[in-house]
Amino acid sequence: MVRRRLSEASFGLWLNTPALAAILLLIGYPILYSLWISFHRYNLKRPNLFRFIWLENYWSILASDEFWSSLWITLLFTALAVAVVIALGVLIALLLNESFPGRGFVRMIVLVPWAIPPVVNGLMWQWIYDAKVGALNGLLVSLGFLTSYRGWLSDPTSALLALVTAHVWNALPFAVILLLAALQTIPGELYDAARVDGSGGWHLFLHVTFPWLAQPLLIVLILQTILAIRVFDVIYVLTAGGPGTATTTLTWQTYLTTFDSLDFGLGNAYAYIVGIITMGLALIYFRLLYSRGEFEL
Amino acid sequence: MSILKHRSGAQAQRRRTVLLSLAGAVVAAYFLAPFSWLLITSIMTEREALSTPIHWVPEKPTLVNYLSFFAPSGTRSIVGSRAAENTLPGIRNSFVAASGTAALNLVLGTLAAYAFARLRFPGRTLLMFLHLGSRMVPGIALIVPLYLVIQRLGLLDNLLALIITYLTFTLPFTIWVLKSYFQGIPRDLEEAALIDGCTWARMVVRVLLPTAAPGLVAAAMFAFMTAWNDYLFAVILTSSMAAKTAPAVVAGFATDVTTERTLMAAGGVLAVIPPLVLAFLFQRFIVQGLAAGAVKG
Repeated sequence: MVRRRLSEASFGLWLNTPALAAILLLIGYPILYSLWISFHRYNLKRPNLFRFIWLENYWSILASDEFWSSLWITLLFTALAVAVVIALGVLIALLLNESFPGRGFVRMIVLVPWAIPPVVNGLMWQWIYDAKVGALNGLLVSLGFLTSYRGWLSDPTSALLALVTAHVWNALPFAVILLLAALQTIPGELYDAARVDGSGGWHLFLHVTFPWLAQPLLIVLILQTILAIRVFDVIYVLTAGGPGTATTTLTWQTYLTTFDSLDFGLGNAYAYIVGIITMGLALIYFRLLYSRGEFEL
Repeated sequence: MSILKHRSGAQAQRRRTVLLSLAGAVVAAYFLAPFSWLLITSIMTEREALSTPIHWVPEKPTLVNYLSFFAPSGTRSIVGSRAAENTLPGIRNSFVAASGTAALNLVLGTLAAYAFARLRFPGRTLLMFLHLGSRMVPGIALIVPLYLVIQRLGLLDNLLALIITYLTFTLPFTIWVLKSYFQGIPRDLEEAALIDGCTWARMVVRVLLPTAAPGLVAAAMFAFMTAWNDYLFAVILTSSMAAKTAPAVVAGFATDVTTERTLMAAGGVLAVIPPLVLAFLFQRFIVQGLAAGAVKG
């Protein structure tokens, strides 16, 4: 009835109004406000110096060593985390799509890390990596791989890898669930047809499963990339950006600038740069989706 | 000949089942092991947890850590009494915030998703990009201006502030999942109901939503988990136990060296139980809801 009274166009817009209002108020306005702040010299420690300085914050960021170092660490962390999540995610989803005794149980267990808040996750891994009474040291020593306990979080390389491991464990279920759901939509006839043609195993995977999985994989890739670039809680609890700056990602650098140095102008400029990088990556992925001609908004 | 062939086929089948089950066991172990360490720590005495070489099985398992949350004034009140007092109210607050977020997501998400799935209206593509684009913004970039918005609304230290904040972060994904799910439902059902004289709202409640149940459950679970897991916004937008959520409480005692490790572990386990129970209950729906929706293309 409503549809008859209102035109389809205005009805469609009306239905979007509540969601749009919430997003504009709590994301749209803050985005514009922080853009405005990023054009100012605005340090809470020296509030008198507040003034409009155009892009100066951005130039000083681009000229700083901290930026390039944290950009590199962000890219390294993101590439590692996303690659491992995608690889393990595909393998585990493929496994859970087969039938074997205990599958129902494993499907439940996969959800465990999903239900663990990143803060608790950080705490949990902190004790696993602990230099004195950590489970990792205990395990490796009792298996004979290590002769003495190591401080996993005090070495730059192992700290970054430890962070990736903790993040991957937490982020993996989301990828597995999405990929498993995608696998379940593959029509059985496709496999039957391919089998009649005499293909099996790898051939089936490459010519039936993979093409079908391509689009969901890109979606998982986008979501996981965003997740990895935004990672914050687990750094906060596990490494606090250290040792030194070994795990100081752009997000952590933004946090330090904003809440440690209280330099809101510079901090917001950092945040904008993180946003632009995320957006750039997402656009590349979207282009891939579109170029496959299978994506419709 | 044919019997022989059959038998080797059955053998291959059996070997395959064994291999798959083994792989399943490895996956289950990977997801369970880190969490088990948290569980084990939580039922140890502090002395045992800090002893080397580490104990994999507690000598004298104890529930005293858990009991101190329910009777914070008991014998253990000296070690981290604040943490003990705040954990259960924190979990309650988390539950209210996450359920509120999930419920509002379903209402606003259904309206917007219906429009995207069924109606042609101006700015449709632009709006969808806006929704997806809002996911690209790093949370850290929004926190300062968002704080100011919430302050102006008079909602600081109020669970409502957390609910509307989480709502904006989760809506894009909800809309996307529901839109895809609705698109998979034949229009005939709706049209029949409308011709029978149902109002649009009645048709949605009576016909569309029951058909879309798995999609709704999946979307609600994702919103619930995102809200439950957040730390950054909870810690900035709340200041007292009126609205502090579980991750904020846990992070509070994670950075406080006086709190006993075993007590923290027990708190961490408690904070994980509610989302874990929900995830287990709705596991089937989650995969189903996504299979018909988000990942199909």
